[in-house]
Parts: sequence; structure tokens; C-alpha cells
Amino acid sequence: MGYALVLVRSASLNLEAFARTTGTHPDLVRRLVALGILDADRDAAGELWFARSQVAAMGRVQRLRAGFGLNYAAVGLVTDLLDRIAVLEAALQEARRPGR
Amino acid sequence: MPAAPRADRRDFYEILDVPRTATQDEIQRAYRKLARQHHPDVNKDPGAEDRFKEISEAYDVLSDPQTRRRYDAFGPDFRQVPEDVDPEAYQRSRAGAGGGQAGGPGGAGGFGTGPGGDFGGINLEDILGGIFAGRGFGPIPGADQEAGLELSVEEAFQGGQRSVTLEGPDGRRTLDVRIPAGVTNGQRIRLAGQGGRGSEGAPNGDLYFVVRIAPHPRYRVEGRDLYVDLPLAPWEAALGTTAAVETPRGEMKVKVPPGTSTGKRLRLRHHGLPHPRGGAGHLYAEVKIVVPAKLTDEERRLFEQLAAVSTFDPRRR
Repeated sequence: MGYALVLVRSASLNLEAFARTTGTHPDLVRRLVALGILDADRDAAGELWFARSQVAAMGRVQRLRAGFGLNYAAVGLVTDLLDRIAVLEAALQEARRPGR
Repeated sequence: MPAAPRADRRDFYEILDVPRTATQDEIQRAYRKLARQHHPDVNKDPGAEDRFKEISEAYDVLSDPQTRRRYDAFGPDFRQVPEDVDPEAYQRSRAGAGGGQAGGPGGAGGFGTGPGGDFGGINLEDILGGIFAGRGFGPIPGADQEAGLELSVEEAFQGGQRSVTLEGPDGRRTLDVRIPAGVTNGQRIRLAGQGGRGSEGAPNGDLYFVVRIAPHPRYRVEGRDLYVDLPLAPWEAALGTTAAVETPRGEMKVKVPPGTSTGKRLRLRHHGLPHPRGGAGHLYAEVKIVVPAKLTDEERRLFEQLAAVSTFDPRRR
């Protein structure tokens, strides 16, 4: 089917691969993890691993920073609020559905 | 890929909704407010990116007093006018060349456009290189976008192809969306790479169609289950019967057991919306006892007889 076939690559990315994919510096990525803006797992050797979904999260951080000139702490607040709004909007939509 | 020059370029003041006499403070306030509304991470509407780009470009020009002065003097073509040109001489020259065609190719009269030639319709991509590029942030992936997609119960049941027109970064675009049979309310259909554009070679975002099943005169939808009213005459409900029920697959017979009251749900297994990877939903026929609005003499006599004989009290606790 041609509608939404998307290659799902579930493999995690290590810090270098993540930085390369997102066009960012590993130091910045580490800082964002420390600020809790990006989610990463740490393996036994202490290396950071990122889920693919974090590539999109990084894109959002970059766009918010570029679009509003936010510092990273503010980006963290804004992304948290946006996520909470998304959850609330989904719940609201669910509650408004006819026949409920 | 450079975007086509826009024929409908709007005035920067108009875009920011400020008067031409606005102070720098007012311009900044207007920009901040609009940017918050239309930033592609805040507003998932596919048209928001375009609007944000427009707002950013207007602000880039009007927030710098020097570029603003040049914009005021030379209009949308200000970038192609050399630094030392006198605004009045420019206006006269444009009038002489049969001007009034602001932004039109060749409308710049006696002023050369320099190497690279035609800047007639200013190409947003060249100036901004995507929304965020050129500001020292490097390649930035495009944002995901969302658009609603209203489907009828029948469309959700059968699936199929649907043409959807959206306002996108390059104007209107029509997408052929294949709807998988059995989509449900709130489900998202992803079109990879059709969302906001990435800058400097970064990947585009995805476009999500969020499915909403339109209210249907007959069916109510809950998840993959369908509910349909089954009107019964009192004697059918009391004695039991076999009744016809409309389903998306066509008419089905349902057996009504004797002693069925209003509100009872009769299940037609797996006759709800299909599930692409599992069991289909069910169809529930909800019994609704309906009495004749007007009784014939015979009906009245029989009901009166029944009332006299029966000891049934539906309100007994």
C-alpha cells in the first residue's frame, strides 16, 4: 500500500551518530540531556544512546531556539508545555466525540 | 528546490498588521505575537509554516531601521536597488518605464539587477533558505504537521483513495491519501516527508492526517464498534422476532429474543469496522420500543384487554 509506509528504524543512535544526524555538536547534545530536554539511555560503559524519536525532538529544540531566540532552559519549559497541551487536546477531542 | 516567485506578495506592514508609522517597539511586539501563534512547533496547521515564514521575512526587513527605510523608499524591489540611489529618482524612473508593476520582472526600469539577473519576484528561499537557516543555526529538520481528515463511516469501513488539498509551502498541493480500511477516530495517517521543510538539506517533517469520523444519521461509532438503533413494536419486543438491521456490509437479520426491553444491545459479532491487524469491531443493534402514535380501534381494544389482564409493573422495585 502506498499511503503511509514508513521505514521504521528502531536502532538507537550513540552520541556521535545522533550529533551527526541532527547536525549538532556532541557537547550541546550532552547539555540538553543534562537539562532533561532530550531523553537518552546510558549503557554500562556510560555511553549515551538515543531513540530515533529524539531526532525529531532535537529538530523541535533547534526550531524553537532559532524562531524565538530562547535559551535552552526556556526551550525545555516550552517543549514540556507543548507536550502537555498535545495530551490535553487529544483528551478533549476524545471527550467531545459524538456518541459518548 | 527554489520556490516559485509569488505573484501575491503582501506588504510587510500588512503582514505584521502594523501601520507604516509603527515604532520599532510596535513592530517587535507585533512580530512576537504573530510568531508565537504561527511557529510550526506551536501551530501544526500545514499553512502555519508559510505564514511564519512571511512574518519572519517581514520582521527581518522592518526590524532593521536601515532596511526598513529602503523598503519604504523602494518597495518590495528594494534589494535590487543599489545603495546610492535616490528614492525620488527611482520613483521617476519607474514611472517612466510604465511602472506600477511592483515586483514584476523587468519593472525596475533603468536600474540594473546585477549578476544573477532577475529578482523580480523575490525568492523567499534565497533570502531565508528555509525558515530558520542563515541565522547561524545550521541545518534544522522540518516540523511535523497535522491536518484533520473527516471520513464517513462507509469510507472508514471500506478504506480507499482520497484526494486532499492543502495549503503548503509551495502554494496549494493535492495529496492522494490512501485510507486503510478500518481507520478509527483519532488515528493518524502518516505521510512521510510531507510536513515542514528542513533547512540546508535537513530532512522534512512528516504530515499526519488525524482521522475524524463524521457523525452519521444511522451509526454511532465507538472505537471500532458501531451502534445502530433497532426500533421494535411492543409485541415484537415481548414475543421475540427476527428483524432486519442495516450494516455497512448491507442488510443483516438479527434474532430478537422474547422479553427484550429498550436499551438491550444485540451484538452482531465482527460486523463493526474492520481491523487491519486483528479482529473487527462489533455492531450493536440497540433496541428501542416504539408505539404507534395513533391506535386503531382494534389495537386500542387489544391493548386495553392486555392492560386489564397483565400484572406486569415496570416500575416495581
